[in-house]
Formats: sequence, structure tokens, C-alpha cells
Amino acid sequence: MRYLWTFRAVLVRLLIELKRYPLNTLSSLATLYLVFLILFTGARYAQGLGVNLFGEGLEGLVVGYLVWTFAIIAFSDLSWELMREAQQGTLEQLYMSPQGFRFVSVCWILASFLVSLIWVAALLGLMMLTTGRFLRLPLGTLGALLLLTVAPVYGIGFAMAGLALVYKRIQAFFQILQFVFVALVALPADAAWSKALPLSLGTRLLGRVMVDGDTLATLPVGDLLVLIGTAAFYLLLGVGVFRLFEEIAKDRGLLAHY
Amino acid sequence: MDAITVEDLTKDYPTRKGPVQALSGVSLRVERGEIVGLLGANGAGKTTAIKILCGLLRQTSGRAEVFGVPSSRPEVARHVAALLEGSRNVYWRLSVEENLRFFAGLQGLPPYEARRRCAELVAHFGLGEKRRTTANLLSQGMKQKLALACALVKGTPVLLLDEPTLGLDVETSHELRGMIRELATGEGKTVLLSSHDMGVVEDTCRRVIILARGRVVADDLVPNLLALFQTRAYQVSLRDGLPQDARARLARRFLTFRVAEGERAVAVELPPEQDVYTLMDALREEGVAVDGVSRVEPNLEDVFLRIVRGE
Repeated sequence: MRYLWTFRAVLVRLLIELKRYPLNTLSSLATLYLVFLILFTGARYAQGLGVNLFGEGLEGLVVGYLVWTFAIIAFSDLSWELMREAQQGTLEQLYMSPQGFRFVSVCWILASFLVSLIWVAALLGLMMLTTGRFLRLPLGTLGALLLLTVAPVYGIGFAMAGLALVYKRIQAFFQILQFVFVALVALPADAAWSKALPLSLGTRLLGRVMVDGDTLATLPVGDLLVLIGTAAFYLLLGVGVFRLFEEIAKDRGLLAHY
Repeated sequence: MDAITVEDLTKDYPTRKGPVQALSGVSLRVERGEIVGLLGANGAGKTTAIKILCGLLRQTSGRAEVFGVPSSRPEVARHVAALLEGSRNVYWRLSVEENLRFFAGLQGLPPYEARRRCAELVAHFGLGEKRRTTANLLSQGMKQKLALACALVKGTPVLLLDEPTLGLDVETSHELRGMIRELATGEGKTVLLSSHDMGVVEDTCRRVIILARGRVVADDLVPNLLALFQTRAYQVSLRDGLPQDARARLARRFLTFRVAEGERAVAVELPPEQDVYTLMDALREEGVAVDGVSRVEPNLEDVFLRIVRGE
């Protein structure tokens, strides 16, 4: 049960901070929506000129933007949060949990995933209202696919967090990664190599579910296996990289220093 | 079983210019229910030792255990909590109660137990009026109390306190000292306390361990250390001051003779072959009127300085 209480404590803390700073929460949502509006206006204008900027039409834009948003939230929640903890001096206290820091991180990921679902659902509602394209939302299938799609991003988040523990100021690198995520979301997942990259295949499969009405049963089994494989691979790789840098940080005494 | 066991602990920090040794073969033991002070100049290795015991730093070699659990294992946190770097260990955007409940939850305590301990600590530390105030709005003293309460809410039998009174005013520092003493006497906690403030250590600790350049140079009960450096030092108050010629003659006779308090007193540390009567006779011979004589007792700061300087 102590694991459950630790997860509860992390979730409650996240919710308190969101509630305590509602303007910050709302402005983040508004910013994401504004960026979407700019993209949407551009896509409509291009469509008028006979150019389809997003291969699968406006639905593709909505799904792609949704995945990108989720990826950004997932990535920043993990790596930025870890840097913030190191800055304010609380990271060491998290390391002193009997459940272990990695379990606390997993709690943080799950809590932030649950909270992100609320955000992303709100954003999706706004996007569907704006575009007038109402997508299918089988919640179970979407939840599973979304988790598998962003799992590699959590892996990348762990790796970046590990780097941040040792090298500290790597925010510029974080920002570059946001653009890399755009490319990965937009990348057609036709070739085997592109399916093996983070986000690419998951975005396509989510598109098939939300736009074409596919279910987990009708999606290609091979693609699902690749999605599970890549999710596990990047997540484990990220955790491995994190552990490596964590050991370096513990050896050099860098956990508290920022 | 000892609460804390450290054996032959060595820590080298890797740097570009080669390893820097922070601890070199440190061994120490702290019994259950003891309050032990860890003293040392900056860079002596106090914080390094404490962080190794919390599992936040990896030792190069040697053994560090709390109740038999190696400090490198997360389970050590069931036995030990720490207050590190003063009050930097709390969430500034959470209120007093929210911080306490979060840290209780982090320890794996169920919500009802977290609420109970939180209410107890809020009352004990006099934080009742501020329980819903976010930590960033608390005074430095309140923040420090909150940080200590957050360490206590975990309910571990061992507490490691690194500079717990850093930046506190005299009154709050005294209040906190009382609370620290009570941890051992009232609750049976084991406390390892590191501080630059000798007053805090002398006031709270039964035993002190002095580190210098990464080694233990003294480990004894405070009274024993004070007795070790007990000197035959006297301060003599003078009614009418000291004439120049008498001063020169007395300085030749007593090598450690010095004038204090603006010529109204003299201080002398007597060698074994001289005693206080020799001094009084000498003063009388010089026609100096004496108001009073007192023996100068060494304090922990004197002891610390003499040990660290290798005197």
C-alpha cells in the first residue's frame, strides 16, 4: 500500500499546484489553442490554393497536433520538473523516499499523464469545434494507443533529465527537441525505419482510430507489435541513460547543485 | 545494534585535475537515542558524510549503514530522514500542511496517518496560524521549522541535520535547539547534527565528532573534550590598571601573560611549575591591586580550534 500512498501524494501535489496557479494552467491551454488556430488558418488557406499541407486533411492536423501536444506535455512534465526540483533543492528529498526515486518518477509520469488527459481532451474539444470535424473517440483504444505513442517521449524525457542532472543548463536542447517532435509526428510511417522512430507510427494509428473508425482489433497486428516494441525500447533506453547519469551525479555529488 | 555505523569510509570527488579526497577512512558509530555533533571547518567532509548516509552520494569505498541497512539502498529512507542545506528542502508553492502531508505520503504513510502526524507537528512547532500559508511567505525561522517538521513527519528513528540553525536569529535558534534536544529525550530519536555554530552543538549534543581534512580527529563526549583542553588559565581583574614597567617584568616571568579588557585585567595560562599563588605573589610584589580572579574555562569552540590546528 505504501506505493499507492506515494502515488497519491504525488498526484495530490500536482493537482494542488495546477489549482493554485489557474492562470498559468489556462494560459498554457490558450497558447496551445492559439498555435493550433494559426496552423488551422494556414492549412485552410493552403487548401484554398489546392495544396494539402497535412496529408490526411484537417483531421490529420487535429490528430497530429493532439499527439504533439501530448508529447510536449509529457516531455516537459518530466524533464523540466526534474530541473525545477534540483533548482529548488527538493530533488534530494525525492531521492530519500523508501520507494526509490525511480518509483517517484513513475508516479509523476502517471499523475501527469492523467492530468494531461484532461487538458488534451479540452484542447481536442476546442479543435473539433473550430474545424467542424468531429473525430471518433473510443476512450479505451485511444488511452492505450496514446500511452504507447508517448512512452518513447517519456524515455527521451528520462534521458534528458539524466543529462540535466549532470550538465544542468540544457534548456536550449529541450527547445530543439520540441521541433524534432513536430518532424516525428509529421513523418509518414510507411517505411520500417520510420515506424521504429518515436511518435511517427503511433500518430498514424491514432489517426486510423479517430478518423477512419479502426479499433485495436482492426489495426495491423504487426504495426501494434512495432508500436509496443518501440515504446518499450525507448522507455527502457531512456531509463538506462537516466540511471547512468544518476550514478555519475551521485558519484560527483551533483544531485543538489544547480 | 548501533543506529549509524560508518567504517573506513572514503570519498573521492572526480575532477578534471584528478580526484579530490573529501573523506579518508572515516569510521564512526552513533548509538540509538544519541545526539552527536559533527564538527569541522568548510570542506572537512561533514556534508559529504551526511549525504552518503542518506544515499545521496556514492562512497568510493567503505561502509555506511543505518540500522544495518546500507545507505546506497532506497530502503535506508525507512530509518533515516534529513534536513539538508537549511530550509531549501520544502516546496515553496505548497502550504505548511500540504508540505507535511506530501512528505508523509512520499514516505508511504497512509493519508489518515499523514493527517495525524501533520496536526501533531503543526501544534508542536507552533505553526498553527500559518498552516495554510505557502512556504514562500513564511519567515526564515518558520521555514526552518517547517523543513525540520517535514523531516520529522516521516517518523524515522534517525535524523541527519545539516546546519539546522543556519540563518536564524538568536531567539529562533534557541527555540530550535530545545526542539532538537527534545527529539532525543522525548522521542528517543537518534540525531547526527552538523553545524558551524558551536553554541548549537554544545547546547544539544552529548558527544562530538570532529572532522579535519576528511579524517576523524576527535570523537568523545563533550565534557571529556573540554577536560582534555582544560588549562590553568586565569583572568585577573585589576582595580587601578597595570603600570608599564610592571607589565614588562610580569611578561618576562609569565610567558603567556597578556593585558586584557583595556588594561583593567590580565590573562595568564600557567605552566605546570607555576600555580595561581605564584601569580598572585608576583602581582602583589609589583604593587598591583587585584579585584578578583577567575579561572578561564575552555568552550567547545576553543577545543575545536585547538584540535583542528593540531595543538
